[in-house]
Amino acid sequence: MDVFNQLIYDFAAWVDTHQWSTALHESFYVYNWIESTHVVALTLSLGMLFLIDLRMLGLAMADIPASTLARRLSLPMFLGFTVMIITGLLLFYAIPVRSAQSLWLRIKLVLLFAAAINAWLFHRRLRTAGQSWDTAVKAPVRLQVGASLSITLWVLIVICGRLIAYDWFDCRAEPSSFIATLAGCIADQEQF
Amino acid sequence: MNRALLGPYPRTISVGAVIVFGLAFALTDARHTTWEALLPLFEWMEATSPGVISQTYGAVFALVEAAHLIAMALLGGAVLVADGRLLGLILRDFSVSRVLDQSHRLFVWSLTAMILSGVFMACGVALKVYYLNVFWYKMLALVTGVFFVFFIRRPLLRGDVENMNPQLLRLVGIASLMIWFSVAATGRWIGFSG
Repeated sequence: MDVFNQLIYDFAAWVDTHQWSTALHESFYVYNWIESTHVVALTLSLGMLFLIDLRMLGLAMADIPASTLARRLSLPMFLGFTVMIITGLLLFYAIPVRSAQSLWLRIKLVLLFAAAINAWLFHRRLRTAGQSWDTAVKAPVRLQVGASLSITLWVLIVICGRLIAYDWFDCRAEPSSFIATLAGCIADQEQF
Repeated sequence: MNRALLGPYPRTISVGAVIVFGLAFALTDARHTTWEALLPLFEWMEATSPGVISQTYGAVFALVEAAHLIAMALLGGAVLVADGRLLGLILRDFSVSRVLDQSHRLFVWSLTAMILSGVFMACGVALKVYYLNVFWYKMLALVTGVFFVFFIRRPLLRGDVENMNPQLLRLVGIASLMIWFSVAATGRWIGFSG
């Protein structure tokens, strides 16, 4: 774990030496516009994703065939995710060391990985489920489980994303050794 | 109000009257007087239970912020699907009225969640937001959005939507997107101000 944390710290510290990283961090308007775009893209991607998931659970758009809705909303959803990933990477680039050592960002990345696997499984099940249930109010149980898991994971991802802004467990705040290891704090580190 | 007094275009005249009232409010001293009169309300908000909880427990405030974001995503989904259909960009093989009706229920629930979480958050930082111009811009955008949905878009599209001029539908969709984008953008900007 220590070697892993050191590698990440070294990489983040190297990114931090980039002139563009500093410029982005110090630009009030550009940084805030990127952050605002990240949130607006979240509205697009999560808005579409939640609609698809709620349709599978029979809680929204029940009059529209489920698989058709999922297919039609996938494009704007992926468009939103693409913008969200690009702006997310730019936000990391602007504040690399603190972000790399954020406990919440680390949890968020694990949850994002879980959400990606769940999405892949969900779409595989959707393809193999046939269309006999398409106009039913609720999707088959396997798809409902996938939709519930998707909503839960994304709610947790949004919570972690929001908590990144808080400095409770920052390395600078000298958290407990357990938290410090999870967050990737390095003994006697010079950059934060 | 007696509809006969407004002639054949009661809705148009009512909207015009609201716009004239809004402009008169914005361009006269009434705006400043009202703002000053609202100060005790914001002082009271900070002393309420949500205000005290928000200020005492940062984690609770952060969780409500996340709930606000999730409600905003849901509201965004409902608005984008409805306006996307009005613009003819998505779900084109389903009728406009069907898509609008289906998305409206989600819109009402998410708007309720957004307002409840928003009021909770505002209680925690009431005096800070009271002095922020962008907070009032957001309130203006939000009121405009709610007014637009319930008093313009819904009544307008309750009629024979399928036979309406597509350009009018597109115009309604664009206006709606612009208003809700303003709500989201000014809301985000509150976080950067003060």
